[in-house]
Amino acid sequence: MLPEKILFMKNILTYTLNKVKAGNLLTYSLVVPLVLLFATGVQAQADSTSPAATEMVAAATSELIAPSLELIPVQKADRTIDCKVKMQAKVKGVFYKLPLLKVNIVHVTPAGEMNLGHAITDRNGRAVINVKGDPLVADAEGKVLLKAIYAGNKQMEPADAEVAVKRALLTVNPVVVDSVYTIQARLVDISTGLETPIPEAALGLFVKRSFFPLKIGEGTTDAAGEASIEVPAHLPGDAKHNITLIARLDENELYGNLEAAVEQPWGTTVSDANIIAPRALWSTRPPLWMVITFSILVTIVWGHYIVIIYELIRLRKEEPHNTPEIS
Amino acid sequence: MELNQYQKDIFEKQKPVIETYGKKTWGWTIFFLLWILVGGYALYLQVADGHIVTGMRDNVVWGLYIANFIFFIGISYAGAVISGLLHILHVEWRKPIIRIAEIITVIATMIGPVFILLCVGRLDRLHHLFLYPRLQSPITWDVLAITTYFTGSVIFLYLALIKDFAIYRDAKLNIPKWKQKLYSILAIGYRGTPSQKRHIKISTDLMAIMIIPLAIIVHSVLSWIFGMTLRPGWHSSIFGPYFVLAAIYSGTGVLIMAMWVYRKMYKLNSLLTDQHFVYLGYIMMVLGAAYGYFTFSEYLTAWFGSAKWDNEVIEKLFTLEYYGGWFLFTNIAGILLPILVVAIPFTRKPGLITIASFFMVIALWVKRYLIIVPTLESTLLPMQDTRPEYIKYSATWVEWALTFAGIATFFLLFTLLSKFVTIIPISEFGDKEKTAAGTTASVKEN
Repeated sequence: MLPEKILFMKNILTYTLNKVKAGNLLTYSLVVPLVLLFATGVQAQADSTSPAATEMVAAATSELIAPSLELIPVQKADRTIDCKVKMQAKVKGVFYKLPLLKVNIVHVTPAGEMNLGHAITDRNGRAVINVKGDPLVADAEGKVLLKAIYAGNKQMEPADAEVAVKRALLTVNPVVVDSVYTIQARLVDISTGLETPIPEAALGLFVKRSFFPLKIGEGTTDAAGEASIEVPAHLPGDAKHNITLIARLDENELYGNLEAAVEQPWGTTVSDANIIAPRALWSTRPPLWMVITFSILVTIVWGHYIVIIYELIRLRKEEPHNTPEIS
Repeated sequence: MELNQYQKDIFEKQKPVIETYGKKTWGWTIFFLLWILVGGYALYLQVADGHIVTGMRDNVVWGLYIANFIFFIGISYAGAVISGLLHILHVEWRKPIIRIAEIITVIATMIGPVFILLCVGRLDRLHHLFLYPRLQSPITWDVLAITTYFTGSVIFLYLALIKDFAIYRDAKLNIPKWKQKLYSILAIGYRGTPSQKRHIKISTDLMAIMIIPLAIIVHSVLSWIFGMTLRPGWHSSIFGPYFVLAAIYSGTGVLIMAMWVYRKMYKLNSLLTDQHFVYLGYIMMVLGAAYGYFTFSEYLTAWFGSAKWDNEVIEKLFTLEYYGGWFLFTNIAGILLPILVVAIPFTRKPGLITIASFFMVIALWVKRYLIIVPTLESTLLPMQDTRPEYIKYSATWVEWALTFAGIATFFLLFTLLSKFVTIIPISEFGDKEKTAAGTTASVKEN
């Protein structure tokens, strides 16, 4: 166990040094000695796939935790696949997101399993691995089989998830039709190596926002696998009017999820100029009367302190010598 | 430094206290340290595992820690009022008790804010409070007010100690060299010349005037953290004066208790007389009546108005199944008991006044808890998470351990300070001489 403890201590020291460099010396000079004092008593995590975060969950139960692993492949327009994984565990009725766990993605073929890579889950228990789609081998039904595997650790059972999807390609073409911004999407099946249009598929059009994409339209593909979706005017964009438009096919029975994005200067500009906020309670600038009152009060009080300290300095200077001692 | 006979007598009486650190004191010190150690372990758990180890959850985000914070800042009023006000009014009997009051102020103001640090998460961002203060926030006012108040209290205590440090420096005390050296440094060359006396007098008068409004501002600001939110039980225009009054009240109670302990421990009956207890008892009685009036006014208004949210909190406070028992206790022990004990001549005795003070101080601590928790348990919107611990706050052992560690730190610092300076100030009696009858008489200072 010794190397893990040393590693744990090293991590704390590195973290501290970074914070000290960032100017948080005061806080960390107080907190870190305390942490270091007890660090030797902390059970450091034995393997890299079972970090401290899982202990929190483990503490809630004395039994092995049975995590749930979810795998969602998203086929992109550049013919790659985003393998999105999510790990969580339900302990005593409460769901815990499981961070810092190593998840492997493998491609299952008739010849055996091929490792495509691994990723570590983030604080929300999520991780994404991007793999090239073209080298993947399809089965007899034309589907590629992907599998996410978590090996387990001392506190958690192993877990895995399998998903089989047919290869497809979604592409978008931004056009302006009669002064109306339009996204022309095309959806084709590429599982056979040829591009076969997919008709009657419901596509959604989204615009990228700060947190999650916002749905702004939808359409259904025709016999040619094409759909035209209008983009509303006056969507807030960046300083250069740019907005990112995303066409999506969600949770299709055969193809799973597909996504294609394009950036277009079709939005209205949102100024990035610094506007001086008004003086108000809610604003970043306090009301003037508050600043004045505050300044007067602070000056009066601390001014008195300074006067007193000055008086004490004068007192010190006026010390006479050869005074008798108390008998 | 020349002392008169009366000063010499007082000094002789207290010399052994600052010269020795006896077995009994060591015993108490170790006892307090053990409590602090338990608190340290609780703190470690809180830092390592997060606030999940406390009883605080999404709805009840304040609990014991904030109650302790208000309590400690409250008792710090002992020094501000007794020392400051009585100094301005030139009340003679204040002299033996002001040192205790001022020490209570400084120590309580040191410990109180620590509970805020225990309550908040992300201590790594603590310095943001100073780097990016938001002037409109009562939290910013509070940080500044407490910092200013603490600085003022330390200056006030130090000013009162300079003359005594000079006395300790010039006396041939049987103490280690470092301690002698420290006295010499802290005395900053005071030799009692008329000019030096004038400097001290100007500074002390200034501080005595400053410390009272400062103390009022600090506790008003503290009350506004509650009063300025639109929560039932908090949003009240009388919260400022109500908090100030409760603070002075509890501060007086703690002062009486401290006086009783020191009188008993060091046999200071001739200095901390029965009369001191009676005078402070009178102050406590008047404050108790005023505090009772504010309490009645506050809850009558809320109850009579019958606003939905107010009613929910009032129901909890008036129902025995919830907090009714504790609310009753705060009113009986916190208002009626001290008033009755002091008002009835038969019970107007140091021991009983101290017991009444003890219960009053406990009652006022409970009152702070009742101000915080029932309100937070009465949410304005329906709760999303209805697990029992989210609906009802229940303090964990971690919070209790840190609470007792805070109390132990208060006692420990008090013990250490009382071994460093005399609890009865010597220099304050420069205008007194002992008469033939053994009593004291005031004489004019040169």
